[in-house]
Amino acid sequence: MSGPRNAEDRLRRLLVMLPWLMEVGEVPLADVARRYDLTEAQVQTDLELVAMCGLPPFVDEMVDVFVDEGMVYVGVPRLFTRPLRLTAPEGFTLLAAGRAAMELPGADPAGPLGRGLDKLAAALGERGLEEGADDTAGVVIDLARPAMTDELAEAATVGRELSISYYTPARDEFTDRVVVPRHVFVESGNWYVLADDGRSGERRTFRIDRVESARPTGGVVGVDDPVVVPDRFFVDAEVPRAVLRLAPAARWVVEQYPVDEVAELSDGWIEVRLPVSSERWLAKLLIRLGPDVVVVDPAARRVAADLARRVLARYSDT
Amino acid sequence: MVDRVERLTNLLALLLETTRPLSLIQIVGELPGQYPETEQARRASFERDKAALREIGVPIETEIVGGGPYAGQTVYHIDRRAYELADLELAPDEMRALQIAVAAVRTGSGAGQEAIWKLGGALGDERLAVSAVMPDRPELPVIRNAVSTRSTIEFSYRGATRRLDPWGLLLRGGFWYVIGHDHGRDEQRTFRVDRFDSTPEGIVVGEPGAYERPPSFDPRSAFPSDPKEIGHDAFEGIDALVHVDRLRAAAVERELGAGRVVRRDDDGIVVSVPASNLPALRSWVLGLLEHAVVLEPAAVRDDLMGWLSAVASSDEGAT
Repeated sequence: MSGPRNAEDRLRRLLVMLPWLMEVGEVPLADVARRYDLTEAQVQTDLELVAMCGLPPFVDEMVDVFVDEGMVYVGVPRLFTRPLRLTAPEGFTLLAAGRAAMELPGADPAGPLGRGLDKLAAALGERGLEEGADDTAGVVIDLARPAMTDELAEAATVGRELSISYYTPARDEFTDRVVVPRHVFVESGNWYVLADDGRSGERRTFRIDRVESARPTGGVVGVDDPVVVPDRFFVDAEVPRAVLRLAPAARWVVEQYPVDEVAELSDGWIEVRLPVSSERWLAKLLIRLGPDVVVVDPAARRVAADLARRVLARYSDT
Repeated sequence: MVDRVERLTNLLALLLETTRPLSLIQIVGELPGQYPETEQARRASFERDKAALREIGVPIETEIVGGGPYAGQTVYHIDRRAYELADLELAPDEMRALQIAVAAVRTGSGAGQEAIWKLGGALGDERLAVSAVMPDRPELPVIRNAVSTRSTIEFSYRGATRRLDPWGLLLRGGFWYVIGHDHGRDEQRTFRVDRFDSTPEGIVVGEPGAYERPPSFDPRSAFPSDPKEIGHDAFEGIDALVHVDRLRAAAVERELGAGRVVRRDDDGIVVSVPASNLPALRSWVLGLLEHAVVLEPAAVRDDLMGWLSAVASSDEGAT
């Protein structure tokens, strides 16, 4: 734990900490530190500083707070009893996060989240809406999920073992695996399940739209320690790279896939270096891009041409 | 010189407590020894403090004194009602639900956690089975405010200035979109927020109540989820028949829905998909590689075959 220490951040943190401390009156220093993501020393320094603040003629009497033997004590509150209003980004993020959570498996629109969001929306001033209009229309979160998602999420909450059939595009085949789902998440429109994979003995991330079927084996492994969710798209440094020149129409590649480098060329073309998870994946990308890509590596071009000939062959017999 | 946090706290307290707006000279008089001696350094320090307080969301109001011996001077104060967060009267289960929502939806900014702290909560060690990654864009709060006050916005997008009556914001497929009525084109348009050239400060927000949103507007349907349906050429309204083999049939049926399946045979299924956006259709069919073949219309089938032939011959001359 470490807190940012510039003056603005210290004051910002104090202004949320003080109203809460005034509510509870007396609390272990360690709890305050954990709650506000600071070290105990940082909390103590800032509380002692604010205790010295004051305006004449009441110097030292503005905020009655002191720290003693690892406990924080707050006396009669005078100032900073209420938190500062939400900033526009805070209000937006809270509202959008709430609405996104409503789109997650297991959400109950009539439950406490829905009620809390209604109160929040009212407080943030949902003005400009027609009488009786749906006040959620201004910000809509669409996290449409594959059919199998709810089942996997439910398995993750209890640690239920599942037998799944999983499609691997790189090898163009299905494999049967026994997995224990640990966490389900959505990123950039794709849903993933993080699961303990019996086949590799490792915790792996699977794309849910490639889970063909899932049925319980009857085993329940239970839940373990809090799951660490990958922070960004998981890219292995060991994976080989390809260099592609892309036309303006193919710029979506940069948004869709992780890339190492992008360089601007003339006429809106760009050159990118990106990790290649498999030859087949790259070949597929090249086929989809057609004339909008120039491949620097002749070997990759050959693989793409081979694959294109195979697809074309299907047209002659269909 | 005192610690800057102490000076900021004292300035904040002074402006909250004062019964009348104060000039810089009066502020310095109330906070002896806290600001530099020389006028220029004092003004610079005060401006920096004022900016810092505003940055963390403190609404500092300024007025110019109209008459009397201090006419023309700027005076400052904070309206306590504007400063303090209104009590949302959240029930404990509602507070907890919001905490879980913020813990489950990761944005890459600390704004959600800051909001929870202000509401009197904290993020603990929630054990979450499900989470989402939500892209964070600095333009969003500005656009959302414009949506809720029905204000026209003006911004630069791919080098051109647009005037838009923003009807709503939509997050789909990992991107934020704003949908509304484009004044220049005089029709409904969709813009990707991360492609704005304008900085958040560069978005010009007009007067509130400038337009009416269509009563039945829903961003979800205003913007087709399936890019294959965003029509713009000769195949508008026409569907293509695509054969999908057994290996990928089940996944495609799940993706499109059983309603799109025209017939089934031992080799797989035939699905009907919109051909109005040919590039999108092409990309989708090619993504299935040898597992999908366009049957008709002939023009679309020919297009795919021509495309594939070009790629197939692209290694000629390569070593």
